[in-house]
Amino acid sequence: MTVGGPAVTAGGPAVTAGPVLAVSEVTVRFGGVVAVRDASLELREKEVVGLIGPNGAGKSSLIGALGGQIPVTRGRVLLGGADITAAPPHRRARLGLCRTFQLTSTFDDLTVFENLLVAALGADGSRLRSSLAGGRARQARVAAAMDSVWDRLTEFDMAEVANLYGSELSGGQRRLVEIMRCLMRSPRVLLLDEPMVGVAPHLVERIQGECQRIRDSGVSIIIVEHALEVVQAICDRVVVMASGSVVAQATYAEAMSSGAVREAYFA
Amino acid sequence: MSFYISTLLVYFFVDALLAWALNMQFGWGGIPNFALIMFQAAGAYAAAVVSLGPDTGAGAFQRYVFGSSLPFPLPLVVATLAGGLLALIVGSFSLRRIRRDYQAAILLIVSLIVTGLVTNVVGLVNGSNGLTGVPRPLSGVLSRLTYDGYQWAYAAWTAVIAAAVYLLVARLGSSPWGRALRAVRDNEDAAATIGLNPVSLRLQAFVIGGMICGLSGGLLAEFLASWSPAAWGYAETFAVFTAIILGGVGNTWGVVLGTLLVQVIFLQVPTFLPQVGYTGLIDALQWVLIGSLWLVCLAIRPRGLIPARRPVVSREARR
Repeated sequence: MTVGGPAVTAGGPAVTAGPVLAVSEVTVRFGGVVAVRDASLELREKEVVGLIGPNGAGKSSLIGALGGQIPVTRGRVLLGGADITAAPPHRRARLGLCRTFQLTSTFDDLTVFENLLVAALGADGSRLRSSLAGGRARQARVAAAMDSVWDRLTEFDMAEVANLYGSELSGGQRRLVEIMRCLMRSPRVLLLDEPMVGVAPHLVERIQGECQRIRDSGVSIIIVEHALEVVQAICDRVVVMASGSVVAQATYAEAMSSGAVREAYFA
Repeated sequence: MSFYISTLLVYFFVDALLAWALNMQFGWGGIPNFALIMFQAAGAYAAAVVSLGPDTGAGAFQRYVFGSSLPFPLPLVVATLAGGLLALIVGSFSLRRIRRDYQAAILLIVSLIVTGLVTNVVGLVNGSNGLTGVPRPLSGVLSRLTYDGYQWAYAAWTAVIAAAVYLLVARLGSSPWGRALRAVRDNEDAAATIGLNPVSLRLQAFVIGGMICGLSGGLLAEFLASWSPAAWGYAETFAVFTAIILGGVGNTWGVVLGTLLVQVIFLQVPTFLPQVGYTGLIDALQWVLIGSLWLVCLAIRPRGLIPARRPVVSREARR
């Protein structure tokens, strides 16, 4: 188990030369509807990629396919070289891929502290056997995890709300809890599905800043976002989708001057 | 009077076991176990058949499977395992990633099917007549005790078991496992994205709860010396739900208070009172009251009389 130190840290195995996440020709089909068609993209170490496109372009379906919530009909998804195409979400998480959801997903009847603690302990720290029998070893592990939670809360300036239930938070605070919770797992890849929805303007800037800081600490991020100014500010690259297909992969400026992208957005 | 109180105590402790089991499954795990009472019945029948001795075949006054005469306390161990095994089987198909209301429907239907099966397949556990003559444990060793004395000894024995189960559930509730279970209850997808396996955590809670229910059934069958389908109508499950909702879902002591109020004061005390009105009136009124109590509680005090405690931590208390 990895428990983060005072700063945001990336865990997992040492950096490999290839992309952290490689998606090749992924198709997602719901019955007769093709939501994603032959989508390919790569996410490199310490990179923030914006996934953009008009409504119904297949962005959320693709994110779901990467996170494991939606089954992939065809194609492959590799995380650090390991094939995770058919892996259930919890196994992907254990390999270092965490995500947030369009509808905020805090554990509402757990306090903020518990939201983070349950993630810091993870599956290994929550086993039934050690919960029943574990003596000093378990206590030490829980104490270490609690320390790391305090550090994270302090780092995000959220220690004040540690004892509030998830249901007692504002939209922006809930987003921050979701992101912090993912970070407790020291992920290699973070998928953020519209993290600015329902967030007050001053917190949007904050979350934006946190994303950059998280990236600098070594985590790669894919972010689905409708607010293009946010995408412009934080993304190294954008992947543009339309009608289920990837139509462009470029820097924000290049993508915006591309005819295909303009057509996708304004057609 | 002494007989009356000792009997109530046995019921109270046995029902507290059910409440803790349901609190673990529903309160922490979010599993709407509408088949709860079926797991108690599994334990009761299991304890009965392994202590009744062999079914002597044709001509015997009751028919059942697996007849044997295991010594105390093995029938209770068998009862516990039977509850756990049934939970493992039922849980393996009812706790998949499906909506919670479907889980509830599946569990209720399974419970009704099993009641029908047990009632109609007479060779299994003697059908609707049920099993009688279950030997009371250690009655030979304790033969010096009066009938009343034995009652009190049995109440003390159930108290010891309840205390042991309390220690178990209290430990589990505040453990990392219990917290992970509550995370799965609150948001399954989010729990999976931090590496927790929702299906496996739920199944674990279901099986542990099933074992506790089975144990409670064994205790009850040995105390009553009999067990029949009339003892485990599906309405009993809803009485346990009412008890934990009134007491405070998620709170280990709250559900004990709920059990005292609902299972003992509301349901048991009237059966010892003199008959009022026509036959069956009190019985019918009880269930009306239980249903109303549930609704009133959800309307005015949804978190119960003793709500789950907010676990407050402070940075100053850090090492």
